[in-house]
This record gives sequence, C-alpha cells and structure tokens, in this order.
Amino acid sequence: MKPFFGFLAFALFLAGSAPAQPAFSGPMPVPPPDTRGDTLRRAYLDRVHEVLVWYADTVKPEKPETIGTGQIVAKLALRQDAALVSARIVELMKQPQTGDMFWMFPWAAISYLGRDQLSPEAKAAIRDAWRTYFPLRGDTENHWAMYYSSLYLMSELYPDDPADSWFTGKSSAENRAEAKAYLIHWMDLATTIGQGEFNPTHYIGEYAIPMLYLATWSKDPEMKIRGHMMLDWLMAELADNSLNGVLRGPNARTTEASVVEHWNSLSSFFTWTMFGNTPPPASYGGFGIFFAGAAENYQVPAVIYQVAVDRSQDYVQRDLKRTRRRWRYSDQFMPPIYKTSYMHRDYSVGSYQGGVSDPIQTHVWDVMWAVPDPRGVNNTIYSLHPYASAHTLQTYFTEQPDEMISSLSGQGKPSYDVPDKVLGSSPYERVFQDRDTVIALYDIPAGTAYPRINGFFSKDLIRVTEDKSGWIFAQGGRTYLAYRPLAPYRWEHLLGYKQLPSKSGYKWERTDPGEHGDKLLVSEHLQNGTIVQAASVDEFASFEAFQAAIKALPLEFKLGPVPVVKLTTLRGTRISFTYGQAPVVNGTPLDYSKWKLFEGLYLNAEKGSRKLTITHGQLKRVLDFNTLSITDSVLP
Amino acid sequence: MKFLRSVLLSLTVATSALAAGHDFYICAATNRNYVVGSVIVTINGVFRREANGEWTHLGNNDVTVTALSFDPRDHNVFYVAAINGCWRTLDGGKTWRCTTSWDMTELKDLDVDPNAPDHVYIALPDGIAVSPDRGNTWPRLENGLPDRGKYTQTIRVDRTKAGRVLAGCETGIYLTENSAQSWRRVFPTKDTITDLQQSPSDPKLWLAVSQSAGALISRDGGLTWTPLAGPPADKALYNITFDPTNPARFALCSWSVGVMTSEDGGATWVERNAGLPGKKAGFRMDSDPPAHCVWRVGVDPDSGRLYASVIGEALYSSDDFGRTWKNEGLEGSAVNRFVFLPRATK
Repeated sequence: MKPFFGFLAFALFLAGSAPAQPAFSGPMPVPPPDTRGDTLRRAYLDRVHEVLVWYADTVKPEKPETIGTGQIVAKLALRQDAALVSARIVELMKQPQTGDMFWMFPWAAISYLGRDQLSPEAKAAIRDAWRTYFPLRGDTENHWAMYYSSLYLMSELYPDDPADSWFTGKSSAENRAEAKAYLIHWMDLATTIGQGEFNPTHYIGEYAIPMLYLATWSKDPEMKIRGHMMLDWLMAELADNSLNGVLRGPNARTTEASVVEHWNSLSSFFTWTMFGNTPPPASYGGFGIFFAGAAENYQVPAVIYQVAVDRSQDYVQRDLKRTRRRWRYSDQFMPPIYKTSYMHRDYSVGSYQGGVSDPIQTHVWDVMWAVPDPRGVNNTIYSLHPYASAHTLQTYFTEQPDEMISSLSGQGKPSYDVPDKVLGSSPYERVFQDRDTVIALYDIPAGTAYPRINGFFSKDLIRVTEDKSGWIFAQGGRTYLAYRPLAPYRWEHLLGYKQLPSKSGYKWERTDPGEHGDKLLVSEHLQNGTIVQAASVDEFASFEAFQAAIKALPLEFKLGPVPVVKLTTLRGTRISFTYGQAPVVNGTPLDYSKWKLFEGLYLNAEKGSRKLTITHGQLKRVLDFNTLSITDSVLP
Repeated sequence: MKFLRSVLLSLTVATSALAAGHDFYICAATNRNYVVGSVIVTINGVFRREANGEWTHLGNNDVTVTALSFDPRDHNVFYVAAINGCWRTLDGGKTWRCTTSWDMTELKDLDVDPNAPDHVYIALPDGIAVSPDRGNTWPRLENGLPDRGKYTQTIRVDRTKAGRVLAGCETGIYLTENSAQSWRRVFPTKDTITDLQQSPSDPKLWLAVSQSAGALISRDGGLTWTPLAGPPADKALYNITFDPTNPARFALCSWSVGVMTSEDGGATWVERNAGLPGKKAGFRMDSDPPAHCVWRVGVDPDSGRLYASVIGEALYSSDDFGRTWKNEGLEGSAVNRFVFLPRATK
C-alpha cells in the first residue's frame, strides 16, 4: 500500500515562497454570460496562462533550487529561458531520481515540450534516466494511468530504441505495445462497467493529465483520440457532479481536508480551468501546472461547459462504478458501485449504496449546499461508521496485516484509525438516496473497533436546533437541513490535524478548534441510522415551516434485529429500507441489476456500451469508444 | 549507480568472512518512510554478501522486491518478484528485463524448478503463472484453483521432482505434480498461507506458516498437514525456516511473536527475542499489544547462524539460534528473502 500525497507537500512548499496567485486570492470568478466558443476559449487560455506565468515567476535564476519540474514545464510552455532550463535539467538528472510514476509524467511532458527548445545534453540526460531509474508502476489505477501513459509517450518519442536503453528492459516497440494494451483495457473497463476511482477530488489530476498528454502528443491516431475522449468523459463527470465548481460526494478517493471543505481539492483546479466557476486551490493544486503545460491543446466542449454551469434545472443522475480490485476475502473482484446524485441550484446530494469501495479515503454520501464563496467553508453534512481494519486493507492490498494501519498515518492519511474520523467507508453501512433524502443504516457487529456513528456538523451551519421530535434542524446557505439520528447521541468537538515539520513521512498533531469549530454527533449504538432531508429555503415560508413539514412526514423505524426505516419523504416518495435488503420505493423493490452506466438529464450510457451521450439543451456530444469517434450535433 | 554503491558502503557491516560452502544473497528494501511518489532515495533489490562482509548491490533498485530465485545452472541468471512484475537478469544483475506484462502485478513469490530450470513459477495476488521458457512467456496455469480464493502468497518447488510444486493461497495449500497443469487443495485454511519450506535434509518434510492456522508440518511431501503446537494460530506468522546444519531446529517469525525457535523438530517452541530491538507499540492503541516486528528469518547452511530482519530496524544474527543477537547493520531495512546458494554448483 503506497499511496501518495506528495503533491500536498509540494503545494505547501510553493505556497511559502511564491508570488500571490491572482485567481486563488481574488474575488469569486463568474462564468461569462457570453458563451460563444471564442469567448470561452479566450477565458480558458487566460486561466491557463495565469498558471504558467505564476510558476515561471517563482524561478529565481540565481537560485537553481527554485527550478523544479513545474517551473520547467511553465518555462517551456511559455518558450522562455531554454538555456537556463536545459542547464538545470542536466543538474537535476545527475541526482538520484525519485517519485516513480509521479516522476514519469512530468518528465514525459518536459521531453515533449522541450523537443525544439532543450539542449542535446538536456535531452540526453532525461532520456538516459529512463534507462537507469526504476520507477514503480504502483498499485492503483491512477498510478497505472500515469505510468503507462508516460511510458507510451516516451517510447513513441524514441520509437526505435533497443531494450537495453529502457528501465523495463524492453524495446520501444514492446513498451508501446504493453502500455497501449493496458490503457485500452482500462478505458474498456471505465466505459463498460464504470470507473474504479470515481469522482476523485485529487486523483482526477492523475487521470486527466495523462489523458491530456495522450491527446496532445500521441502519434498513434487511436491513442490520440482515446486520450481526448477519456478527457471529455472525465470532464463530463466532473461537470455533472459539481455545484458551482465544487465537487461533492460520493468520492472513491478524497482526503481529510477535502471531505469537509469540498472546494479545497485538485478537482477545483479543473473546474476553475475548464468552467471558470470557482477559484483554484493554492498553488493550483500542485499538479495543475502539469495540465496547464499542455492545456492549450484541449478545450472542454460547449455541451460539457453548459452541464457544469447551468443549474437552472434540478436533476437526478444514476451512475455505475466499481470498487477497487479485491485480491482476496471477496466473491467478486470489482463489485459494482451504484451511485446516485441529485443536483439543485442551492444544494446537491450524492451517495452510493454503502460498503467499502476503497479501504482508505472513500466518502460514501453527503449533502453539500451552495455558498457564495467556498473557500474555507465546510459546506456539507453526512454521517459514517469510523471503520478501520487490517483484514479489510488486506482485501485490497497485497501486504501482511500488521504494519498497514500504523503506516497509513505516515503516508498522509492520519485519520484512518481514529474513532472520530470523518473520512472512510464501512462494510456495516447501507445507504439509500431518493433525490434529496438520504437514509444511512448501520448494523455493526459487536467487537468491531469504534462502535459508533459520527455525524459531521459543520462550523458553517446556522440555526442548529435539536427538536424534541428527535430531528435536528439546521441551515446551510440557502438550504434547510433535517438530520435524524436513530439512536441517542452526544456531541464532540471535531479535532483537526496540524501537520508537523518532518523530513520523512508525515507527522501530525491533533488540534481542538473549540466551540466555533466543526462538531461531531456521536452515537454509540451498534444498530443505528441517519436520515437527512434537504430542501431549498425557497420552498418554505420560514425555517419553522420547514421544521413543521419534516415533523409531519410519516416515519417509522426500529433498530433491531436490523435497522429498518419506513419514511415518506418531503417529495412524497414512500421508502421502506431494511439493512441488508433492497430498498422498496413506492412499493417496488429497487432492482440494481437494471442500473445503467449513466442515466440522467445530461449523461446517458448503457452498461457495456462504450458510448456516452452528453446532452444539454440542443447540444449533444457522443463519445463512442466502439468507433473511436466524437460526434457533435445540435438538436432541433 | 555510483551513488547507490556509495550509499551501500555505509550499509556495510564488519563480520567474519563467510564459510566457503555458500554464497549469501538477500532481497531487501531500505524503505523506511517510503511511499509511492516519495522524494526519499532508497536502496533496494538484490544484494550479495562478499567475503569481507560488505554487501554488493546487484540491482535493480526496486523498493518492492519480495522474492528471489536463481537458475541452478548459472547463478548469473536470476529472477526477482516485485510490484512491477518478474524482473530477470541474465548477466548477474548488470541488465534487467521485466518479463511480465501489465496483466500480472504485485508478485508475492517465485521459484525456479531445480529439475527443470527453464520453468519458473510465480505467485500472484490473483493466481499462479508459470513460465516454461525462462520468463519469456507467462501462461496462467490455474486449473484446480478456485475462481476466488486463489490469492497466492508463496510458491515452492519440490526439489525431488520436476513439476511438483506447493502453493500457499488464501484458501489453503495447493499441490501440483504435473507442472501446474492441474492443482488440488491438500490443506484448507480460513486465511492465507504465508510461507512454505522444504527440509534440506529430508525432502518429505515440509513446514508452513499462515495467517489463521499457525504453523504446520507435513511429513509426506506436503500431502497431509498437521498443526504444530506452540506458535500462535490467531496471529499472522510470516515465514519459517529449517536449520540446514541441524535437522531438529526450526525458526519462524512474525510481527507479534518476533522470533520463535524449536530445537526438537517442532515439538516445543520458545520465543527468542532477547537482544532484538524492543517491542514497538501496537498499531491500534489499547487493543493491540506491542510487537517485535520481525519480518524474515533465515539460517546460514554453513554456520547455522540464524538471521532475523526486524522491519525498519536492522538485520540481526545469532550464533546460538536466537539466545543472543547482534546487530548486523542494514539499518532501516526489510529483508524479504535470505538465499544461500551452493558455491560448488556455480
């Protein structure tokens, strides 16, 4: 298990020494009212240019240590200081190379951007490192996307080199064939049964950047269009799952910070760059520069742009995804994930059916409300069972059981094994969502570590009211929220994580923000549940009227022998949900086998189809991986 | 490479020269604080111990190397299991080739058939593959393994018969007697078999350790297995070894118990941790006890010296089979294999 969070350290490093970032610290961006193609293109390139210039300006020629791979990419993309950059590359290549697949893609980009700029010595130095350095392929799909895309492009750049000139011991042709086979395999999975690392807040970069590179530089027309189509696919999903540029849950992978402050993630770099509807994170998310370096070769199509910025119409979206690979302890290798999303201009609700999608960093469900400016705002509410298990880690990782949990903290995941965690999935959680209602049920076996449910209550909620009915009412932005814990509870301050200086691994200190910080609703009961109902303030005359409406909803529940909830939602849907059974909606059991790859207002695809149809208004784009074609049309 | 070698000098330990009979190789990683993408420089791969006690790095610098096996006909040909796949060198480590492709990953173990040395068996998280041609091709040969439950942690070829192989899987011990054309389960378990070893003195005698069934012994070539009293069955045991100089002596190791030894053929066992680093805190406070964190044990067939790798700490050795220990250097390392090759066959 070797996850990566080095980019956070990278971002922190830059943040400490870099010039101010205009978009990061400036006012909230507003998508232009003029949505003609050339206007959007100009705005997009302006944003990309801001990233490049910001990075280039961090270079101090008299201090070579200020020139890292990000700065080199920026300088080459701006076609500046080729001699300085070349000299620095020669120096860098004399040092031991580290970073594995995270090393590969920046140097692949530098190799391509520098084809007509770098000195022969610099090019030779980079090329030789691909012989002497042994980067790991890693153990996640994002690792492999980076590894194989980089290897593919480098073996295209040097198409006829012999086996002994590559770290793999394989010729350029062999590397190319292997990389292409894997990338097609991964695309095939994603376009038939769904993505594994779906809606990742940070790892989106690890997919989008390699796809951009394929789309930009691949000589093979097939890989070029595949890269372009997958990038469209990723951006369409990002557009569909974000509200005002902020990606909400569920997420196959996210972080302790992003799970509560959803804006604070690399995904916001992409929504800012593509759609201009939210500020970018600090240092453009660390990896943003590696997208910016080739970004002029891409333009998000108008239909995806409109899906991202138009929230005039509510919509439900159902998607099919899959878990991380389960090497053992499971009857299925990659069980399906059934994901539901509801989008409203004031809030969004997202979930999957519960269980463990990835043993670390998975976020199963939440409600997120819109805010005028998301920076520093924890605009979400949800609950979870704080689960940690070496056995579960071994399901997904091929390592011995004993060391894994302890090592996670040192790898940038400090909350994996703490009782007050607010990030993670559990095998003992089942979730059902109907539009803006979520029911989460818990049936935790006795003896399980951390027999409690944590409900996240943000510092940014207002009017938090514990009603004697058992409901807790609150308001976030223009959203009324009703939260119903099904068992008694108490409150805790949610302690934060302060990263301590460390030259090796990550070290953390817990900090108490006090009364004004986030709070945890803690319910220490093995059979348990949470109901959340959201609604817009526009729907009710007052907060009190909302409360009255919620209290009037027909609700029955019992917790034993397994939790059962029968509820008629604010929207009139009759739900009967028993832990471990298919939810019954208006008298009909939900049949997950009929779940499509995408089904919703904007994104639609049949399971197994390899074909995604993106529509908005009259605009339509079809990404067809069967024919490797992109078809745009304007509907009558 | 110059950098690697200079770092290795700092890892060098001053010990007595090896006895003449065997060459000593390890497969190790000095990966303390390493994570994927880390900017920490680590030194990993295959090392050979020279007569003066220094370690020579034979490559490749892969942090995930887990196993090592040599072609008995030519010790310049060897195979390494790693996360990227099966690395092979034909020239003593000067050049390497990753012989597997994208469809095989995170190799856990491998073994060359000494009676059919072109055949190499690899243990995969999703099964077993066998190369009939020194790693040039890797067909999966899994007939008889379950569709699910074939996670394979360890694989060992019976040195007495070509094509007779035991595999330690998630669901038990599996045996093939026809070069993996078919497998049958000879011992079921609830959790993963973590190591299998054949006695150097009695080829019918085999030992195994596991995550759920403790330590096991077979006296009929792996056909039947019985638990050994003494080692715990509720904790993962990592590996077990024979002492080639004394048929009655076995040693095993694990995170929880550290080193345990038996000097009466497995009848009784004693913890042998005095002199090893103190216990580390359990991974979950209040529920898991402190542990010794021993990763691997091995015995030098020439001297009977017992080696123990304490993960993230150092390599330790004992000349009295665990009663006392001394630090052998390799600070911060995890040794995944101890391999002693008969020098005469080189």
